[in-house]
Amino acid sequence: MGSFDMDPIHVERLRQNSPGYGGKLGPLAALALLLACSSLAVACEAGKSEKGAGILKVWCHSGRAEEREVIRRLVQEFNESSADLRVSLTIIPEGSYNGQVQAAALAGDLPDVLELDGPFVAGYAWRGYIAAIGERVGGELREDLLSSIVEQGTWGGELYSLAMFDSGLGLYARRGELEQAGARIPASAGEAWTISEFEALLENLAARDEDGAVLDLKLNYRGEWYTYAFSPAIQSAGGDLIGRGEGGKARGVLDGPQSVRVLRRFQSWFEKGRVDPNLDDRAFVAGRATLSWAGHWEYARYKQASGEDLVVLPLPDFGDGSRTGQGSWVWSVTTSCERPAEAMRFLRFLAEPGSILSMCAANGAVPATHTALRRSELYRDDGPLRLFSAQLTGGWSVPRPETPAYPVISSVFEEAFQRIRDGADVTRTLCEAAAVIDREVRDNRGYPER
Amino acid sequence: MMARLLRALGVYALLTAASLIMIGPLAVMLLGSLTPDEHVLASVGRLDFCPGELSLQNYADVFHRVPFWVYLRNSFLINAVIVLAGSVVNGFAGYALARLRWRGRKLLLGLVMALLIIPFEVIAVPLFFQLSFLGWRNTLLVQAAPFVAHPLAIYLFYTFFLGFPRELEEAARVDGAGVLRTFFQIVLPNSKPAFASVAIVTFLFCWGMYLWPLLMTTAENVRPLPLGIAGFHTLPPLAWGDILAFGVMMIAPVLLVFVLLQRWFVRGVATTGLGG
Amino acid sequence: MRIVPRRHSYEGLAGGLLAAPAAACLIFFIALPFLAALFLSFTNYRLGSPLPLEFAGLRQYARIFGDPGFIRALLNNALFALLVVPVQTALALALAVLVNRRLRGIAVFRTIFFAPVVFPLSLVAVVFTLIFAPGAQGTFNGLLELLTLGAWEPVDFLHHPWLALPAIMVTSIWQGVGFQMVVLLAGLQDIPRQLYDAAIVDGAGPWQCFRHVTLPLLRGPLIFVMIVTTILSFRVFDQVRIMTGGGPHHASTTVLFESVQAAFDRGWVARGAAMAVIFFVMVLAVTLIQRRLARQERT
Repeated sequence: MGSFDMDPIHVERLRQNSPGYGGKLGPLAALALLLACSSLAVACEAGKSEKGAGILKVWCHSGRAEEREVIRRLVQEFNESSADLRVSLTIIPEGSYNGQVQAAALAGDLPDVLELDGPFVAGYAWRGYIAAIGERVGGELREDLLSSIVEQGTWGGELYSLAMFDSGLGLYARRGELEQAGARIPASAGEAWTISEFEALLENLAARDEDGAVLDLKLNYRGEWYTYAFSPAIQSAGGDLIGRGEGGKARGVLDGPQSVRVLRRFQSWFEKGRVDPNLDDRAFVAGRATLSWAGHWEYARYKQASGEDLVVLPLPDFGDGSRTGQGSWVWSVTTSCERPAEAMRFLRFLAEPGSILSMCAANGAVPATHTALRRSELYRDDGPLRLFSAQLTGGWSVPRPETPAYPVISSVFEEAFQRIRDGADVTRTLCEAAAVIDREVRDNRGYPER
Repeated sequence: MMARLLRALGVYALLTAASLIMIGPLAVMLLGSLTPDEHVLASVGRLDFCPGELSLQNYADVFHRVPFWVYLRNSFLINAVIVLAGSVVNGFAGYALARLRWRGRKLLLGLVMALLIIPFEVIAVPLFFQLSFLGWRNTLLVQAAPFVAHPLAIYLFYTFFLGFPRELEEAARVDGAGVLRTFFQIVLPNSKPAFASVAIVTFLFCWGMYLWPLLMTTAENVRPLPLGIAGFHTLPPLAWGDILAFGVMMIAPVLLVFVLLQRWFVRGVATTGLGG
Repeated sequence: MRIVPRRHSYEGLAGGLLAAPAAACLIFFIALPFLAALFLSFTNYRLGSPLPLEFAGLRQYARIFGDPGFIRALLNNALFALLVVPVQTALALALAVLVNRRLRGIAVFRTIFFAPVVFPLSLVAVVFTLIFAPGAQGTFNGLLELLTLGAWEPVDFLHHPWLALPAIMVTSIWQGVGFQMVVLLAGLQDIPRQLYDAAIVDGAGPWQCFRHVTLPLLRGPLIFVMIVTTILSFRVFDQVRIMTGGGPHHASTTVLFESVQAAFDRGWVARGAAMAVIFFVMVLAVTLIQRRLARQERT
């Protein structure tokens, strides 16, 4: 049985030695009780956020260290410059940002100003979490914002957000290696390689490569990346993820002939072993891959590794012209904000060229206004990353579908892409994916206006 | 004599081999946390950690990136409340179920057995709405309260008290002590191993809790450690060295608690585990 | 003496008082939300949807049983329980027997074997992601290459249709075996030496001692360990979330993972709730069957 003695004498001795209330146990229990009570007291106090007139609650995501520094500095600047308005900033971890914000939204606990990931604008607007700011933005600022920014922040004809930066997506390569392979080097999105040129180049490079894996598609990424990076390929062939506009369906579009053709090509690259799994995220930097399908955030690292040899190229043209992705974090005013005019002051401050440029210096993204763009070293007309800004202003970029169904579309597409990567039948995979998306839209009655 | 020596050596060899398997991943974590970020994946693969390159830089980075002490304090407070309040609530209930006769006893026992099966994720969403509605978001209390009463803990106490020698209680009763006095003066002081072991098991379960704080907090001053690690999951390349350093620091307190309370724990498990 | 009736009601009061806080907490924090989840499973509830809540009858249930992902999850959970429970218990028993000696420093080994239990599963999953990494960079691949003297081709465990689930099983077993070992060790230490001595005198070898002395007397702890492990093996979630994401193509998904993914990633709370209800019924059935079998064998 247990490790207790049953001997009666032993029992008697135990009983005599057992302390009463004031014995050894007493103080321990009292201490435990005290600790528990004080913890509860702290618990009730801690976490209550500041309330008061003239305080603006702002939430943003915690990106790289430099980005956090910049946003903190900007908030400090704003607070010092404005006498009657103070911003109280909360930084939330990026890995859990969307989850935490959604939970807070459901609990009715949102701040005054909220940063969110661009494609989620439609969903938040439909659910009534964020407010339309179109009228408060004013004509001048609206003109100054890049068209891609305005497009991303619009739903149901109203503008709900603005941004400090947009994203750039393209192919990174090394000039020397391309010249060795005899490939031409496109100077702009209009001169992008055709898909046959691209595939011929892949074979050419593979022949001279150790393991034939010459293309880096950032397969180590999870989540949004797949929709962001690879739906432009589908759009470049004339296809899409879902019919845009009211009543758009995924059936016939996501599993349409163009989409199927494009993803079959991707599958063939996987099958031939042309794609590096990129687990350590150093395929391009270490020289294992010659081409890297990546975003603006890799520029600094790639530049450091490849120096002057680095070239930034448009994505290949799958038939209808080269297309690329767009969209990034945006700022919006929530409907629970009681002082939207003052919240707008903070947003305007963020949209000033000075603010934008300091943020873009930290994260390497494309500035969101033309004024800032002109002053940016990387992105102005003679800057090294002018391709990215040209793509955004020249209509080469396609926004991700602006619908409250977006999170489902994205998650379903990621799953489909992974299955295709593992060798599943392309048509059937896309067909099933489209069915899931359409059912989602149907279940939500097509997202009627409130 | 020789045979015994050989057998002992054989046993030691087996033990060492098994230890390597058990310790291996921990060693990986520790060594990885001391390696610069870029080299972690390569080193881990080939188990090739250059002694020259080891440094505490990752640990410094962690403190630089996140308010580690705040997260540690929060995790500690939350778990202290869960363990201490839980000991009281669950221990008392376990005794009442095992030893006393009262109306609803069978009902509560059945409820405990049924709820034992329900994992937290299943009730997370409804509970989230329940407690948000009461306005309990962003407190340390709300991160502790749902876990104070735990079916598994109650069950462990129940089986423990079933095996508790009746002679002790009966001797006290003969002397005229009432039920409650018997409980507080005789039973509790002799149940320390059980309380220690349930405390450890509860602590182990709750220290790494992630989903609930995710749903119920946004403010930084109530954020616990596991949520803090989410701050390192930015765009790749992931800083594996920093993540592992954070992990090491996160389990260091737990390891410490375990090493200190180990003896009690083993004794306690021995008595609770034999209820069947 | 007429103490009995008074004592009875006093005992009743005391019992109720001692158990009341726990009962209240259990009902409020667990039972109530579960009933809410049960209710939601019969609706079309979606997280944050401004559309009105509608009663949907058994539609969610019909949908999930028609979903290959969920069916595969059920299968995986069954496989998990069928494989992990015996393997983990056997390993724990082996370790307990190994450690149940009076050798110098045995306590150190005991601590080492228990150490993995101290780690939160989420952290263990992160470390094992590194260990199972594909290519020569993965520790496991490297180890196998070493053991087979270079004959092993590196494999991407976590994306392999057949190896993803076993990889998760290995992770679970590694993390849990120490706990069971301690329970079984305590049981072993309670077996009186005289029984072994008597058996040896009768001419029994080590294996016979084990079968006829150890195992029968270890019945209690063994059953406890198996029931708890079975319940825990159904709750596999953290490893799936962090290591494989349920892939490739549902090869390593579990019911709990599907439920959480439906409810939190896609906002289909009603569907997640239906899966959770099925999960509850499933585990309840298995647990009841296990206890019935255990009781039968005892008589």
